[in-house]
Amino acid sequence: MIQTIQLRPGVTLRCFRDHRFKTGRLSIQFLRLMSTREVALNAMLPAVLLRGCAKYPDLRAITCRLDDLYGASVGLLVRHIGDYQTTGLHCSFMEDRFAMAGDRILQPMTDFLGQLLLDPRLEQGAFCKDHVLGEKRNLLSAIEARKNDKRAYAAAKLLQMMAHEDPMGIPRLGDVEQAQQVTAENLYKHYKTVLKTSPVELFYVGSADADQVAQLVSPFFEKMERSYEPIAPQSPLKASEGGYLSEVMDVVQGKLQMGFVTDRTMDSGDFVAMQVMNAVFGGGATCKLFMNLREQQSLCYDIGSSYMGGKGVVTVGAGIDCHMEQQTRDGILCQLESCCQGDITDGELQSAKQGLLSGLQGLYDSPGAIENYYSTAALSGLGLTVEQYAEAVKQVDKAQVARMAQSLRLHSTFFLKGGKG
Amino acid sequence: MNKTYYPQLDEQVTKTVLPNGLSIMVVKKPGFARKVAYFATGRGSIDRMFTMDGASFEAPMGVAHFLEHKLFDMPGRDMTAEFAALGGSVNAFTSYDMTAYHFSCTEHFDRCLKLLLEMVSTPCFTAESVQKEQGIIGQEIAMNEDAPDSMLFDNLAAGMYENHPIKEPILGTARSIAQITHETLEQCYRALYQPENMLLCVIGDVDEEQVIQTALECTCHMEKRSVSVNRQFPEKDAPVKKRVSAKMEVSRPLFQLAFKWQDIGEGEQAVRQEIIGDLAAEILFGESSELYLRLYEQGIIDSTFAGGFETVAGMSMLSCYGESEFSQQIKKELIAQAQKLQKDFISEEEFLRLKRSAMGGRVRSLDSFDSTCFRLCAYHFSGFDYFEFPRVYEKVTRQDVQSWLGQVVTEDRCALSLIEPKEE
Repeated sequence: MIQTIQLRPGVTLRCFRDHRFKTGRLSIQFLRLMSTREVALNAMLPAVLLRGCAKYPDLRAITCRLDDLYGASVGLLVRHIGDYQTTGLHCSFMEDRFAMAGDRILQPMTDFLGQLLLDPRLEQGAFCKDHVLGEKRNLLSAIEARKNDKRAYAAAKLLQMMAHEDPMGIPRLGDVEQAQQVTAENLYKHYKTVLKTSPVELFYVGSADADQVAQLVSPFFEKMERSYEPIAPQSPLKASEGGYLSEVMDVVQGKLQMGFVTDRTMDSGDFVAMQVMNAVFGGGATCKLFMNLREQQSLCYDIGSSYMGGKGVVTVGAGIDCHMEQQTRDGILCQLESCCQGDITDGELQSAKQGLLSGLQGLYDSPGAIENYYSTAALSGLGLTVEQYAEAVKQVDKAQVARMAQSLRLHSTFFLKGGKG
Repeated sequence: MNKTYYPQLDEQVTKTVLPNGLSIMVVKKPGFARKVAYFATGRGSIDRMFTMDGASFEAPMGVAHFLEHKLFDMPGRDMTAEFAALGGSVNAFTSYDMTAYHFSCTEHFDRCLKLLLEMVSTPCFTAESVQKEQGIIGQEIAMNEDAPDSMLFDNLAAGMYENHPIKEPILGTARSIAQITHETLEQCYRALYQPENMLLCVIGDVDEEQVIQTALECTCHMEKRSVSVNRQFPEKDAPVKKRVSAKMEVSRPLFQLAFKWQDIGEGEQAVRQEIIGDLAAEILFGESSELYLRLYEQGIIDSTFAGGFETVAGMSMLSCYGESEFSQQIKKELIAQAQKLQKDFISEEEFLRLKRSAMGGRVRSLDSFDSTCFRLCAYHFSGFDYFEFPRVYEKVTRQDVQSWLGQVVTEDRCALSLIEPKEE
């Protein structure tokens, strides 16, 4: 279903042709190795590009152009996928057939995306100073605002405890110090390097055929001076020492995070079995953590786990009453132990698998989900189509789930507790 | 049963009303694997005062949300697990004026639909389960109290309104939910889950007749009663409090500014008002507005800034929010800009561009089954067929939007809510 076209060395266009949607979607991502040196530059770059280009020099001109294109939208794309960080833009736009007679959207939209990306507004051989300053302020605010969302804050703290020597431990948008160092000059220099050396991934979902899309995006790369450098494959986790940490904040509800490591990763071929294990344990709607800790013991309002297959990390997060920390920690370990023992009912396994399968089958119903799955799968090293993934889910049995659970080792625990800080 | 095709949107809808009064709407989506069903009542957290069979009732705050949790209970069964076993994912939400139970699935649609209808139409409340739920909802309330965005709006509404129950949090408070008993829930269920005021809305590649047949079988026991719910909440034009603030663990101040506007009523008139309100928000402070660009470039607002026109049965407001240290200045600038627009409004060409953009946005959002189901329900309860929106857009003029802005964006109608960082 996905048609892949190599436009140039290191430039890949993937197209998913589909006539059912009212929205088309096109994204372009430049692939970088996640590093403290580049993280803030990569995070800021698309934000600055969206502030103005030569032909549409400010936000208002850009928005008016988007309004002309029937309320199309352009957004920045900064993903953290294991060892990689991507930087780029995506756009969504109404399919041509819903426009007034004679109006076209895909072609002018692609052209506009190219201008935003390749013909930025410059001042004295660098990006516009005001734009960089403004976006730096935005990035700093976003970094500082992390503590507003207590759950995400606790999850980020846990990842830092587990992996501060690994690219996985670097926050997606970087830290204050890294953001502070960005200037109009060094960002522009970085932009040039990104265009020249990065592997590029383009993804299109919509009613146009792949050749037509290839023709529309090819001009992006014609003038580009490229000396493309292939990027190293994803590497195993360099786990830090770990342990236990707590922090006091003036909050009503505590946030508990526990992180486990496993050698069962995408590379070891256990990705799908681990996903089923995660769904049984804490990922699915009827998982053990939810059914026992929340429904039966009322220990928490929300609880769930997730599995990061590239690095072999499983994290559990729960919002709890601050006095319930020990009970909840014990409860989580107890549920994990029952997975290890293979103490899993047919119903639990069945609904965990059904949940994953429904998610996979429904994925083709949303342009955003299609783009997210395939562009992330290509970069993370998953290399499974949705159909192959679904087939593999069906094959997983209880003994396998138990073996997966047995591979988990508790690595770190973080607790954000209420009180006067 | 009647089928309607909407050529501008390329959508086909089958509609019917069952003998017990329940409305059904099925949007056919050939070729899609996912199916979504919403079973909703047009009653929400604001509907606490009602008369039933001649007697008057006033229920505690948070009762609609409490009911939403408790309807998942079926004796000896676990409904979430039953859905999950079929690959379905079930959830529910309570808003100010609607409560909806919904699932999505790819297979076993008819069985999931039966489960949903059975669950919502068969209340089973016990004293013990009510007590347990008080603990769970207590945690949810606590979580909400730690969420700056929720507190920002709850505080705003509490300060602005004198009578409209939007001033109360949807979840209620720890104290109000402690008053809820299984008898309260039974009474409120009878009053708020009247089939005549409910809608089953389905989207997906399903057999329409089968949906109707299933609904007929599963809801025939739902009884009609004579109930009247009070939705008259007289309000003055001016907010009760012009400014409310609280301190929380946040990195920067959060603000929400709102201009209080009246009840916009029901039906096409209401939708027209809503479209006018949306366009007014775009013209005043949308990303393509003069003001947005200026404030953004001066660093007074940033990418967190957003806003629009909000409506709940019995009230409406134009509002914007974001992170900024300069909320007072933003307020002054908005009012000044609205006055300036009275003399010098945008051109007809710019206005058409904005309309085209708003229409395009709505067309694109139809790709999301959930957002479409939500809208079909919400508009149905306010007496309008959502898929008729392109026609209403055509009728809205520049003058409509200009004069509306002049009436709404004034110092008198304005209120400000702030969440400020705690001092170290």
